Amino acid sequence: MDGVELQILWSNLIGIVSEQARALQRIAFSPIVREAGDLANGLFDEQARMVAQAVTGTPGHINSLAAAARNLLDNCDADSLQPGDVLITNDPWMSAGHFFDITILSPIFRGERIIGYAGSTIHHSDIGGYGIGSGARDIHEEGLWIPTMKLYEAGKPNETLFQIIRRNVRTPDALMGDLGAQVSSGIIASDRLNALCDRYGLDDISELSQEIITRSETATRDAIRKLPGGTYHGASRFDVPGGQVIDLKTAVTVDAEKGEIVIDFEGSSPPSSMGINVVPAYTHAYATFAVRSSLNPDLPNNAGSLAPIRLKLPDECVVNAKYPSPVNARHVVGMYVPFPILKALAQVIPDRVVAEGSGAVWTIQISGKDRAGVPFTSSMFNYSGGMGARATKPGISAVCYPTGVSAVPVEVLEATYPIAFTCKELEHGTGGAGKYPGGDGQRIGYHMRTGRTWLLNTIPSRLVSGPEGLLGGGDGAAGVFQINGEAIADTRKREMQPDDEVFMITPGGGGYGAV
Amino acid sequence: MTRYSLAIDIGGTFTDAVLLASDGTSYVDKTLTTHNDLLEGFFRGVDLVSARAGIRAQDIDDVVVHATTVVTNALIERKGPPVALLLTEGFRDILYIREEHRYDMYDPQIEFAEPLIPAERTFTLKERTYADGSVGLPVSGDEVRAVIAQCREKGIVSVAVCFLNSYRNGANEQEVARIFAEEAPEIYVSLSSVIAPQMREYLRASTVAINAYTVPITRPYLTALIAELKARGFRQQPLIMLSNGGVIGAERASTMPVRMIESGPAAGALVACYFSRIFDIPDLISFDMGGTTAKACMVQNHEPLVTGTFEVDRRYRFKPGSGMPITVPSIDMIEIGAGGGSIASVDDLGLLKIGPESAGSMPGPVCYGRGGTDPCVTDADLVLGILDADRFLGGDMDLDLTGAQSAFDTLGKALNLPRNQAAWGVFEVVCEQMAAATRTHATERGIDYRGLPLLAFGGAGPVHACMVAELTESTKVIYPPLASVLSAFGTLVTPVQIDLVRSHVTTLDALEWCAVDEVLGAMVSEGATALGEAGIREAEFTFSFAAEMRYLGQQSEVRIELDFDPRKTRSTGDILALFEEEYHRQYGLKLDGMKVEIVNWLVTAAGRQPERAAVRAPDGSARRSETRPVQIRGTAQDVPVWQRASITDTDRIAGPVIIEERETTIFVLSGWEVSRHESGSLVAEKFAGKVAAEKEAN
Repeated sequence: MDGVELQILWSNLIGIVSEQARALQRIAFSPIVREAGDLANGLFDEQARMVAQAVTGTPGHINSLAAAARNLLDNCDADSLQPGDVLITNDPWMSAGHFFDITILSPIFRGERIIGYAGSTIHHSDIGGYGIGSGARDIHEEGLWIPTMKLYEAGKPNETLFQIIRRNVRTPDALMGDLGAQVSSGIIASDRLNALCDRYGLDDISELSQEIITRSETATRDAIRKLPGGTYHGASRFDVPGGQVIDLKTAVTVDAEKGEIVIDFEGSSPPSSMGINVVPAYTHAYATFAVRSSLNPDLPNNAGSLAPIRLKLPDECVVNAKYPSPVNARHVVGMYVPFPILKALAQVIPDRVVAEGSGAVWTIQISGKDRAGVPFTSSMFNYSGGMGARATKPGISAVCYPTGVSAVPVEVLEATYPIAFTCKELEHGTGGAGKYPGGDGQRIGYHMRTGRTWLLNTIPSRLVSGPEGLLGGGDGAAGVFQINGEAIADTRKREMQPDDEVFMITPGGGGYGAV
Repeated sequence: MTRYSLAIDIGGTFTDAVLLASDGTSYVDKTLTTHNDLLEGFFRGVDLVSARAGIRAQDIDDVVVHATTVVTNALIERKGPPVALLLTEGFRDILYIREEHRYDMYDPQIEFAEPLIPAERTFTLKERTYADGSVGLPVSGDEVRAVIAQCREKGIVSVAVCFLNSYRNGANEQEVARIFAEEAPEIYVSLSSVIAPQMREYLRASTVAINAYTVPITRPYLTALIAELKARGFRQQPLIMLSNGGVIGAERASTMPVRMIESGPAAGALVACYFSRIFDIPDLISFDMGGTTAKACMVQNHEPLVTGTFEVDRRYRFKPGSGMPITVPSIDMIEIGAGGGSIASVDDLGLLKIGPESAGSMPGPVCYGRGGTDPCVTDADLVLGILDADRFLGGDMDLDLTGAQSAFDTLGKALNLPRNQAAWGVFEVVCEQMAAATRTHATERGIDYRGLPLLAFGGAGPVHACMVAELTESTKVIYPPLASVLSAFGTLVTPVQIDLVRSHVTTLDALEWCAVDEVLGAMVSEGATALGEAGIREAEFTFSFAAEMRYLGQQSEVRIELDFDPRKTRSTGDILALFEEEYHRQYGLKLDGMKVEIVNWLVTAAGRQPERAAVRAPDGSARRSETRPVQIRGTAQDVPVWQRASITDTDRIAGPVIIEERETTIFVLSGWEVSRHESGSLVAEKFAGKVAAEKEAN
């Protein structure tokens, strides 16, 4: 296949999944999907290798989906799949690391034969159990566990499963709406792939897929071969809600001969009793993200581009969650996974890495009754701190890395819930100093206008120590979380008084290079 | 008696003039844009076409319509005078915080456009309006006066005001405007509650900032234009083309320049609508390809698709998200960084990539001989033989074939392909990029693009349209006449029209009709005033209504066209049914039992569609029978070359064929047949499609 033909077919495959992802994002009820793009759409070949992925989403999802198709097929009778079948699971170890994420996989038939699979993962608005936050003591408290099953069999819905799901979640209509959108997205992807085969006279995509995967793997290995071989170390330390301090340590080995990178997390913190443990697939997702976004960000994601990056996880480790550890708020640790790796890579490709930033976005949920006594529960909403600086550019203020989640506008929140904001501005000087300074965090204040008590559930992090500067750059400032002017450490589900004022400052990003 | 209408379109390089007589005779000319004083070029254009027609200014008794890039240029060049932004205390950094979104997850090097109005010219005031419209804290007159004093000190000539929740109640913003008018009438004031009364503070602030930034440029410019036209004896107030595909009086347009940003491309889309009526083809795709970008627009039922939000000045690799958002109604355009000047390269994987880097017009493609060394799309067209080195721009510009060939030798080496196959690859890949962008754009809007005819224009459009049509499974391409001044012509077939949007969030089951009466009543009267100013008689006013709706809990809305005045029907059932139908069309879903919410009301106030005579085709010219070798899919073929003006209504020309005119070249593939339509357009139709259609007809 020459470079012209392959370019055309490849961009067509990416077009198919991107179209579907954008449609899903627009119609999703789940706020984290529509605002944060917390979803993934992938196309897999007949061997369940990911061959194309939508250019959307957060790293946590998009890279976890890569392994999901194989996992699902290994857990069902793959040989008996027929047209109209749709597989489902939310098993944290099979896809994206907590129950909220439901993965749907549909076989794509061309005539009698399966030529590939269309998959999607989205973060649903509720999955029963504990709800948002890290407070559950084991995984079973966290919600409904859906093993790999057929949601549809030959086009017929599995009514039993639908009823079980409906009865076990708090927002059944929204979940069913989003699930329906996922299923229809699989059907459309299947139509589009068949249309592509018709247009270019292909019987299947196996040759195309092989070509894409091989070239991507070769390109990644070649990029790694250009680096100086050796083992490089990086560590990151941060505090999570409740004050617990987590250490992530990595030894990044660049094998310049094989063109391979192995990341060993030996020495990182042990599992936590809180729901912040990270399953291997999610750790893998953020670890490969750190490498790929520094090494060759333009290369599309697929089985080939991910293959040369491998992980070694210690048996007892916060980033190697085991049953029955709680995993609900795994992003609180997962979003820090890139930083120790970037610090190690800073010794190899200093011009392409990012200094440590504020890390996980701060998430908030409010509930109570409005002035008239009508109950409300908000969706989860979130705010960013500052991004770390780059080698030739400052960090961006009020923007997150490694995710890039949008914030819900103040006016949208005020129009939807009885909340009033007193401020939302940059907190100048919170970004670390440096040749290039880190991005600034923000100051955000709000209260309720209900005259009643209410509930607040916040997940801040880095309230004790700010992000470290890189190569002589200054540290970013730690965050602040106050109620009525008093610092609060334990932020899990608090009962609030009618006039309570919440005030917070999100952390700044680390600077790059000495001033 | 013959009536005359005049259109002037000021672009980045050329100012185009079209004079259209009521019998269909048209006079066109081009002159260089005079950037120091745009009116100089404007009136040079006027003089040129009037002289051609042998008439005087006062003979032009029908409309004078104007489209201009003056607003866009001001934004990109950032040479505007100092402008201030007034915000609610506590929310000073709205333009810096944006939406907190990283638009490219993988690229750690992304950048954003610097805010148009910097922090040192941003002021905050103690004031507060809540989401229910109640005013918690009114504006203090003393505080406003203090701000005015500081504005004067800083030499501010224009201010933007964007207070929280002002989309719901603009009283505090109005009070600021009142005090400015009293105390500092020389300072322009733009209010977000007037310019873009929609929820979402960043979008609204960005929009009003852009307006305030450009008002000091457009107000004097349009005022001078009005005065000069009057002095020269023109009878009519000029009309200005807006981004939404309508024209409006210059006086009103001068206060809302943010609505003029896409005025040139919008005019192009309007031409497509015009021809869709002439050909009686309700749905088609307009395809305009120039030097740096290609633009496409879906025409549905003879109307262009309209969007509520778009972006200008994308700063980082043309990426969506790197520019400034604007939330005013605009033609919904697909814009991709692929034009004649787009650079071809080979990436790490050995794949052929085109753009987004562009050689632009300086240095331009290699063949321009101005120092460009990177192979471009136009170079590929030349190497393939689709373009003729001696006949570019009617022979006025020599092209360097040898230079282009050697650039493709180099590219071919990197691809491991011979020169001609590499050039064909560029041709194919650039067409595929446009087809892919069209497919995604259409699918996202629930439109089946397959088979929709293409209307091709722009310098590079007719060269590539037939190939793009193959890739979008289309069987018809229309090449309209007057391709070189088509946008100017488009403004003459555009109705007077203004689109208004207002947020009023409510669930359908809690809808209060008296509130709807109030919101829609205000919009209708604003629309009526604008139409009156543009010289439309009240009997010709039409108002159409639409709503942007979603299921409660969603974030993105679906636009529902209402074919009735909801104030009269007062039926939520009708609105719900239309929403469900549209939602199902776009997403294939219907969600029973979910509450439905209205977010925005939209009113389009329009005059009648102008019924100006169709342009007459250019006169015939002598035939020349010739061929030239063209490298098609790696093989040389002798392809007939026709001069466009020599083609008559009875000709049926089988592809492959090249048809030349001064400003562009039409390239039609084999399997297609070209004929001439009575409108002067050329039409290429695919055989297979035609045979099938004839069979069906029989």
